[in-house]
Amino acid sequence: MTPRHHPSGDRLLEHAAGQLGAGRDLVIAAHVAVCPACRAEVRTDEAVGGALLDSLDPAPMSEEALAQALAQIERPTPSQPAAPTPSRPDWIGFSSPALERAWRRRRWAAPGVWVSTVTKGPGPARTYLLRVAAGMSVPRHRHEGVEFVTVLKGAYGDRGELHQPGDFAENDEAVDHKPTVTQDGECVCLICADAPLVALDWVGKLFQPIVRI
Amino acid sequence: MHALAINAIDPRFVVGGSPGRSARTWNLFAVSAEPSVDMSALIVAIAERRDRQAFTCLFNHFAPRVKAYLLRMGTVSEAAEELAQETLLTVWRRAEVFNPDRAAASTWIFAIARNLRIDLARRERRPLPGEDLTVGGDMVRPDANLEAAQDEMRIRAAIATLPADQSEVVRLAFFSDKAHAEIAGDLSLPLGTVKSRIRLAMAKLRALLEETS
Repeated sequence: MTPRHHPSGDRLLEHAAGQLGAGRDLVIAAHVAVCPACRAEVRTDEAVGGALLDSLDPAPMSEEALAQALAQIERPTPSQPAAPTPSRPDWIGFSSPALERAWRRRRWAAPGVWVSTVTKGPGPARTYLLRVAAGMSVPRHRHEGVEFVTVLKGAYGDRGELHQPGDFAENDEAVDHKPTVTQDGECVCLICADAPLVALDWVGKLFQPIVRI
Repeated sequence: MHALAINAIDPRFVVGGSPGRSARTWNLFAVSAEPSVDMSALIVAIAERRDRQAFTCLFNHFAPRVKAYLLRMGTVSEAAEELAQETLLTVWRRAEVFNPDRAAASTWIFAIARNLRIDLARRERRPLPGEDLTVGGDMVRPDANLEAAQDEMRIRAAIATLPADQSEVVRLAFFSDKAHAEIAGDLSLPLGTVKSRIRLAMAKLRALLEETS
């Protein structure tokens, strides 16, 4: 299935140019891995990056750099990361060691909910996996700063739009929402948020200190 | 550097090329204004027969440019040297995942350097650019199949023809460790102006690639 919600061209360019922090970059990378259209766009952006790289004035390497490199390549190649496979068989086709680790460390947060931090920073920003059971809603909330979301498994509805595996969303401070997982099954999302979400109802105010997202 | 580069051209792969690879690639030697080496062919030589001379040539050309790129991105000198070294070692170790029909050498190396820089922050390894092209099946649009090496020349030529204000923002978009908002601040321009200049420039480059591929 091809994703229907995509990052903006600006975000794809920032991703291609390496301008996003590690957390945001990972969320975009997950979408791009399963989205042929965005992958083609990123590849074009990267070609521009490559051409610019080639035209840079060289910064001389130290004198022994080449000799060291030639000595290094004589040594047996260290083991390589496995070819990309989904982190979990039922997730979208994107893998990352950080996601694997986070999945193994997941902890129960509330009935039907588990959370696991993937990476922290910069500042109060946090990148995490969030699993919410079928039919459940995340209590109504808004955001400080921006939140990037890519669906890894399952689907949720948000303000009349269905977000399915691979779909990307960017939610800014203007967004006030209560995403609801579809009845079909659990939903796992990879999320990078600039700051903890701001609960807007009593359920959320109870929920947030426990779940800590 | 050019003298070394020319010495490293191995007639085995310059003249013949491997079956199925576009013959057009080799024409670069004829049309290029200055002596140049097909960098993609050097990577293929490493993949096919662990060609150390090809590696030396790639190292001499790209390591100082990757270092220059990393320095511009705010990486401190020692780390930039190390990451540039690591980038070229990655080229050696993973040369077989490089697809010369998909990306120019400079594009692939740019993407490796970019990922290593981000991963340094995240302290993990992720699939290499090139591998992730196959994630989720090979569904790339045919028009995205660039005649990669030629495209790089075209992109370079196109960047040279951009109005100065546009080429400046494109360079900054790739070669400064800054979000578009900060770039706007540095140039004392409204964010909208910077974004529209970047978009305009990227749209031109993209149109150029699509019309000629």
